[in-house]
Amino acid sequence: MSAPDYPITLDVTGRRVLVVGAGPVAERRVRRLLTAGALVDVIAPRATEGITELSASGEIDWFDREFDIADLVTPKRAWLVHTATGISGVDDWVGNAAAAEAIWCVRAADSEKSAAWMPAVGVGRGDADGLQVAVTGGGDPRRSTALRDAILIGMETGELPVARVRGTAAATTPTQGRVALVGGGPGADDLITVRGRRLLAQADVVVTDRLGATGLLSQLPERTKVINVGKTPRHHPVPQFDINEILVREAKEGQLVVRLKGGDPFILGRGGEEMLHCAAHGIPVEVVPGVTSAVSVPAAAGIPVTQRGITASFVMASAHDGPEHVLAAARSAAPDATLVLLMGVSRLADTATGLIAAGRAPQTPVALIESGWTPRQRTTTTTLERAAADAEAALVRSPAVIVIGEVVAVRDELLALGVANL
Amino acid sequence: MNSYRPAHNRGLYQPRIGSVVLVGGGPGAADLITLRGYRALMSADVVVADRLAPVGLIEELPMGIEVIDVGKQPGRHTRTQEQINSLLIEHARMGRRVVRLKGGDSFLFGRGGEEAAACEANGIPVEVVPGVSSALAAPAAAGIPVTHRGIADAVQIAHGHRPVAQSAWASVAGGTCTLVLLMAVAELKAHVAAALTAGVDPSTPAAIIESGTLPQQRITRSTLEALPALAEALGVQPPAVIVLGRVAAADALRAFVAQAS
Repeated sequence: MSAPDYPITLDVTGRRVLVVGAGPVAERRVRRLLTAGALVDVIAPRATEGITELSASGEIDWFDREFDIADLVTPKRAWLVHTATGISGVDDWVGNAAAAEAIWCVRAADSEKSAAWMPAVGVGRGDADGLQVAVTGGGDPRRSTALRDAILIGMETGELPVARVRGTAAATTPTQGRVALVGGGPGADDLITVRGRRLLAQADVVVTDRLGATGLLSQLPERTKVINVGKTPRHHPVPQFDINEILVREAKEGQLVVRLKGGDPFILGRGGEEMLHCAAHGIPVEVVPGVTSAVSVPAAAGIPVTQRGITASFVMASAHDGPEHVLAAARSAAPDATLVLLMGVSRLADTATGLIAAGRAPQTPVALIESGWTPRQRTTTTTLERAAADAEAALVRSPAVIVIGEVVAVRDELLALGVANL
Repeated sequence: MNSYRPAHNRGLYQPRIGSVVLVGGGPGAADLITLRGYRALMSADVVVADRLAPVGLIEELPMGIEVIDVGKQPGRHTRTQEQINSLLIEHARMGRRVVRLKGGDSFLFGRGGEEAAACEANGIPVEVVPGVSSALAAPAAAGIPVTHRGIADAVQIAHGHRPVAQSAWASVAGGTCTLVLLMAVAELKAHVAAALTAGVDPSTPAAIIESGTLPQQRITRSTLEALPALAEALGVQPPAVIVLGRVAAADALRAFVAQAS
């Protein structure tokens, strides 16, 4: 078997295919053949219930007897034979007889002795409609089905390029542009939603910033136009209004525009403003939620933002606009509520001082989690009164999520239990 | 201070023999699970599913994956948390890849922390895959951003099975904090009475989103005061997410934009 085999796809529509054997394996083959439009004759003394039913309903002809060499050519010559009798000697006989007649024969139980064999097949749906994958080789059916399954998942999620490339006839008719505000999740490429990933695969234009799953950008098809409106702290390269305008402008050109944002577009992410701006210009706009960093990044460090016996509520705020917003949020919450701050690193000193002045205990545990859900994730634990000094000493950098509250202690419990990957 | 970097990369989900993965299934629609969660699910040996786990995902599972429904009906616990923990450990000990599938996010009122700790204490490798929380996604699907500049600077999320803290009601009264209540349909009257007692403006905008992100999603908007009667009249059913605060008003965002421009 050192010579490579020769993959090929057959159109069996209206052509006679002979199946010898009528057990469960044969039945699966019969059903596939019927789906492909073949005329199926089955030869076997006994058959599964399914084959019996197919015969009764006239979808196949089942001859309840042993195989005879004449079956290969009568009533009509078969184009293809499948043998799956479960008896090696019978399969040998059928295979040899088919070879003598120069008819391709698939032996289900023994691909080594087989003239032809079935790949592991998967059929695409949704965007992948009309596509089939077939995996063959490797000498182990489980290996090829595992690869087939992985490919199907990639087709299903949009990670593999299954979307129809525009052009041809449709190019002359202007398409209606639209905008999707997609939450990219906290950082890792595979923490975007399936819906978000599919939209990215289909997008004509992707408008992105610094936060979130930026690794996804390298997986986009070549034809996708990427506009980076990235914001860095204290530096706004593209003002929000201009971002809104870009979305509307590109959509008006008939493009599918994906606005990819870190975390969730509606959580402290100004997605509401972008949505309104699009709507005000008559551009259809949809929101695809994302895994918000405010909850998932603490989770990655072993910190649940709520926990029975500790606190039932939490408050999220963006520290980007200054400590007064954080203080307003903290004041608005229960005294034991967990406080989760996004974009708070640069103003940590003012924020912590303000919180202590507002009545939070100086000893309140604090966790600073940098680059959550990426290989660079790092967690620094401290207390409210020491937070700013410790952050400086440890060179804590944004993007980071800051958790303030007793739930931080859950992380210590997990570490004590020997949980390593926090 | 303690700075710590995990020893190994968090890369693609790697199925291991005998493991538990806690997967947040998202708010309801099957395609609002994460890619990582989807892969874990499709390569599981056994899926232990909650009542709030997206039904569409369970229907999509390939043949051969065992599904165990441990769904808790409101007011009636079919299995205790301890029994669920034992179930996860028992299957993992048989060398199976166990996926614990929940609605929303495992760590947001999902008791994921307890399940993770129970597995770790028994030496079972656990991985957590975060999910999109219904507390945030259901309002978003209704066009309600729970935070929005100039309207709400903060959002507070609370579980409706227990009384809401007085200070949380005070924050809603203050007008700049949104309150999202999960699993609060059964206790809605009591919550509203508590809010009014705590001094929240009876005309505070309120919205209930039933079956958020699913085709049967229904949005009911009202005021705090009128909400219980309306919910009863309309036959509002769980699962539902309740949003209280200025962002819940149908015209809140438009009014804000008009004001700003």
